[in-house]
Amino acid sequence: MSVMTRVSALVRRHSTLAILLVPLIVAGIAVNTFGSQLLIDMYTYFCVSLCMVFAVQMFMGNSGILSWTHIGFVGIGAYAAGILSTAPAVKSMGVPNMYPMLVDLNLPVLPSILIGGLVAAAVAAVIGYPLMRLSDFAGVITLFATLIVIHVVMTQWDNVTNGPRTFFGVPDWTTITVGIIAAILVILLAYWFRESALGLRLRATRDDRYAAAAIGIDMVLVRYLTFVVSALVAGIAGGLWAHYITSFSPKAFYMSEMFLLLSMLVIGGSGSISGAFSGTVIVTVARELLRQLESWINNAHVLSFEVYGLTELVMALLMVLVLVWRPGGVIGGQELRWPLIKRSGKDTTPAEEGQAAA
Amino acid sequence: MAMLTVENLEASYGAVKALHGISIEVAEGELVALLGVNGVGKSTTLKSISGVLRPVKGTITFLGEPITNKTPERIVRRGISLVPEGREIFGSLTVEENLRLGAFSVYKRDRYKADLEEVFEIFPILKDRFHQAGGLLSGGEQQMLAIARALMAHPKLLMLDEPSLGLSPAMTDQIFALIDSLRERGSTILLVEQNAERALEIVDRAYLLANGAVEFAGTAEELRRKVDIASVYFGDEDATDSCEVTQ
Repeated sequence: MSVMTRVSALVRRHSTLAILLVPLIVAGIAVNTFGSQLLIDMYTYFCVSLCMVFAVQMFMGNSGILSWTHIGFVGIGAYAAGILSTAPAVKSMGVPNMYPMLVDLNLPVLPSILIGGLVAAAVAAVIGYPLMRLSDFAGVITLFATLIVIHVVMTQWDNVTNGPRTFFGVPDWTTITVGIIAAILVILLAYWFRESALGLRLRATRDDRYAAAAIGIDMVLVRYLTFVVSALVAGIAGGLWAHYITSFSPKAFYMSEMFLLLSMLVIGGSGSISGAFSGTVIVTVARELLRQLESWINNAHVLSFEVYGLTELVMALLMVLVLVWRPGGVIGGQELRWPLIKRSGKDTTPAEEGQAAA
Repeated sequence: MAMLTVENLEASYGAVKALHGISIEVAEGELVALLGVNGVGKSTTLKSISGVLRPVKGTITFLGEPITNKTPERIVRRGISLVPEGREIFGSLTVEENLRLGAFSVYKRDRYKADLEEVFEIFPILKDRFHQAGGLLSGGEQQMLAIARALMAHPKLLMLDEPSLGLSPAMTDQIFALIDSLRERGSTILLVEQNAERALEIVDRAYLLANGAVEFAGTAEELRRKVDIASVYFGDEDATDSCEVTQ
């Protein structure tokens, strides 16, 4: 087999990645070259959102457990990275009660973000094991309760987080280039993870946990390992976000933000990489359009009253509609593969026909 | 020496006692059946051996070592694979993924390919369905997939729980022929079956269970001669009742 045919076979096999990553990169370069600063910022934010969504997708899409906790790990990563990278002078001014030990810490941004991810993973490792024993309602509600615990700690521990007040002065580091690179790495990780031994075992427990046990899969263990890995990614995404937004407070890591991440997953379909990606695109674009529509309605006095919460309302409705008509999400559980539209009987290998049928 | 020895096994589901001291043996290369009506503890015995259910009392010895109270994962690694009742394959995963999962406990890339070829030889239909979701297969194909998945782990002992359940007569014939051919290839098999008449045609020995205990043990020949199989299943009122409940 020559090198060319080998490369083309590889691309064919992993065409999903090409379908997702090429537009991501091309659009990113276009935005960076021709876009306004506002558009560049929005694209950066979109890339960071992708990192967060895929952190959740790795756990939720493969285990089938709805997780409300991950935005908490995003927050832990954001605070940990922020504390490490922000200049001591800024911290002592901004967070008057901070432990002196933490004030003195100062690292470059990239190591700070990575350590932030490790801190989030460590928290997940400590609290995760008992949670992973639970499934269905019990699993969802305990993960939800865990988010509340994390949130309360963030708002009350003012020696670390400045309490409910804003934590500011984080260096502005996450540029559009950083965002795109991070998003690509996270997508590759999620794609690889889904097919890995751990990911496949986890998907087996999602399908039927008793059958999985019968072939020797330790469900609690595979869930737990995935939970910790996805918390690591969520923490890193949080660090990236902190160095994009530069000032934030605990309310940025709570229910409405998690609802947004979940709506991206639900609308696109959490079972596949393509689904999570599409959901993020759809929700990001829809949210921006709705926000502009809302401000136009209010500024132009189209209605006799002011409109608030249009975004949340439409997102929630969209989620309901998708769940009613396409419970698997817009894309469904399958990956997008080249060619996107298949002519019958032509250009399809048996493998692809199988995928299409499934 | 017996490959698998189960002694005085007792198991219960909460307060309900399912097994009252069962003792069975399987020697290497044997095809042994556990027979009996619904609810006598056939599946419970298999679940206890595979570690999915923790026995209350008794010992299970496999290849000379005790495996009582070991986790299912360890028991699979030691070489016992269970094909659970009702063909519990992973419906949303592809045939390929199902088979790969079965191979994990002994995963080696080169060996995986060779094993796949061997499985395709036994079950050619799975090659055609390789990239389809398991849930789209017919009942018989799913049963084949479930058995193939168990074979991928290279079990020293294969346990089949009601492989003919819910299959058409033609497919049942095919599955029984298959079990017979697996034995010819040298597999050791412990089979649980409701269809006693059919099972006795292929097995070496069988245990007849009643109310969580072994009522009769012997070769297939002895069982057919000494026990009126039809009366066990349909003779007394209790048996008839339990059959009606599940139909």
